[in-house]
Amino acid sequence: MDYYVQTLVDGIAQGSIYALMAIGFAMIMGILGLVTFTHGEVIMVGAFAGFYALTFLKTGIFIALVAGFAAAWILGLVIELICYRRWPKGPDETWLITTIGVSTVLKSGAQIVLGTEQQLVPDVYTGFWTFGGVRILHIQVFMLAVLFLLSAALWLFLKKTKTGLELKAVSMDKTAAALLGVDVRRILVVGNAIGCALCGVSGVLLGVYYNSVHAVMGGSAGLKSFASAVLGGLTSIPGAAIGGVLLGIFENVGVAIFSSGWRDVIAFLILIAVLLVRPSGLLGRKGAEKV
Amino acid sequence: MKKTGFMLLAALALLASGAVAFAADTVRIGLSAPITGNYAEYGENFKYSVTMAAEKINAAGGLLGKKVEIVVMDSKGDPKEAALIAQKFVQDSSIAAEIGDFTSTACLAAAPIYERAKMVQLSPTASHPDFAKSGEYMFGIVGTQDAEGPFNVKYIAQEYMALKNVAVIYINNDWGHVTKDRFVKAAEKFNLKVTGEQPFMESEKDYAAILNKLRQANPDGLCVAAMYNEASLIARQIRKMGWNVKLLAPSSVFSAKLIELGGEAVEGIVTNTFFALEDKDPAVQGFIAEFEKVAGRKPNLHAACAYDSMMMLADAIKRANSADRTAIRNALAETKDFSGITGKLTFTKVGDIERKYKVMVVEKGQWVVKKDYTR
Repeated sequence: MDYYVQTLVDGIAQGSIYALMAIGFAMIMGILGLVTFTHGEVIMVGAFAGFYALTFLKTGIFIALVAGFAAAWILGLVIELICYRRWPKGPDETWLITTIGVSTVLKSGAQIVLGTEQQLVPDVYTGFWTFGGVRILHIQVFMLAVLFLLSAALWLFLKKTKTGLELKAVSMDKTAAALLGVDVRRILVVGNAIGCALCGVSGVLLGVYYNSVHAVMGGSAGLKSFASAVLGGLTSIPGAAIGGVLLGIFENVGVAIFSSGWRDVIAFLILIAVLLVRPSGLLGRKGAEKV
Repeated sequence: MKKTGFMLLAALALLASGAVAFAADTVRIGLSAPITGNYAEYGENFKYSVTMAAEKINAAGGLLGKKVEIVVMDSKGDPKEAALIAQKFVQDSSIAAEIGDFTSTACLAAAPIYERAKMVQLSPTASHPDFAKSGEYMFGIVGTQDAEGPFNVKYIAQEYMALKNVAVIYINNDWGHVTKDRFVKAAEKFNLKVTGEQPFMESEKDYAAILNKLRQANPDGLCVAAMYNEASLIARQIRKMGWNVKLLAPSSVFSAKLIELGGEAVEGIVTNTFFALEDKDPAVQGFIAEFEKVAGRKPNLHAACAYDSMMMLADAIKRANSADRTAIRNALAETKDFSGITGKLTFTKVGDIERKYKVMVVEKGQWVVKKDYTR
């Protein structure tokens, strides 16, 4: 029994990172109306920012999270400038292609600038609690706390501020929002930056939890955040959070019940099953565009 | 016009006679190695090591009363180039034998050409089990993957660590499968109980679920068939979950990077190698110092193998007392207990070597040689 509880705990911890990535992804997806391919690389840059803050500036974990947030925010502004701003009215594919290009440049550039070797990220919280045979690490609880705090902050921001409301409006319907006097371009910049910044934070957590950062870590991270967002309903932010945590649990329980070779198979079979029953995802709007 | 042609011919004739005269007082050995391209670092190491060995032989009076001369050709890590080089070497009657190439693929591509011309191809690094089997004249000294699994089971898991049962976590690629497979087969043979075997995906960073699963059977030891970077993360996650299991791993983790990345978590991990910079043997330390002087960096296992290849070849030529290609082959095949810097070497019937290893352990953040079966 302890074994399954432990698996569940580890799954939730892993899922909380996925959730944070997926929230950022859903946010960007919502305002752009399109998938972005730069996501994994944004996560990687955030992770490296946190890594440099922790190892070279010897800051605490909070400053590291802020560093990841800030670096990814700035990268978000750059991505908007390169990928989206110059082609405001182009066909949808233009944005897809530009993000693929920027993603490739970032990934290759990172290998040149940051090196191709895996880097060691020091531990931040090494303590743990024991409940019978189940061990809960402080870092796991910390990650979950970061997820809750950021989600709550995001929810307040979207609910209570003017910019937040405008973001929601753009996410629902760009043309209608523009007609009502929303500066769509500005919202696009802000929304994209927030989405990226959240990913930056998830990158820092990823690095700290697994003690490693790597220039090519973005690939699988981007894929997992996409899968989580699809599970949750693509543009739904609470959906993405739930989707992320669920994906983490599925992967771990899949290993516990079957074998580790089946890890991704189980996770993605469940994903397909959910989409068959609810094509717009767990919390997706009916009739929303699907990928 | 006619005159220039004649002059040219004369010059050529002169050159040719010069070459022949030159060849007569040297023993020429071909070296085919990837001096440029992807494997340039390894190819350069080959060149440094083999040249160093040749100089040492010459300083001691040479071979058959002649100087040894190394003819280096760049295969660029390309099997096609390796085959072309083979063609050139076998046509040049002054070349007695060949050392190279680096990859198993390049060696296998060149093998039929050397075999037809009855010239020895001695590869320092080809580890594919089929290479030495592919011909009478094919020799490999790095040892094949067949020897490591049994060694890890018998000498490391059972004798050194005294394990009764063991679980295996392995990387889900060709190498991981072969390594796991050889380990598990050997375990069956030597009655070491394998309580579980689980693969992990190459890009995966979260091993918690897999490790928890393997932990359920409560094995004494865990064999981590992974590269050093993944192995260090696995070790860290094992310590974080509070699992007190003894770790062993194939030689892929033998790197200073493992300790750098793993820290205290890799303390006590056991692996094997047959060439270690930490080896206290004076011959090995001498080689390391000399190599560093020439190359400006520390040698690796491949460089050591290249050095031993040249020395073995020289030993064979001495015993054959002739630079005849077939005579060299026969003498080389009879090599027994040759004392190289990578250990005592004896060729098997097919022409490769059943390697013995050193047991290496991380102690206080350092690799330490615990037991040495190579000598």
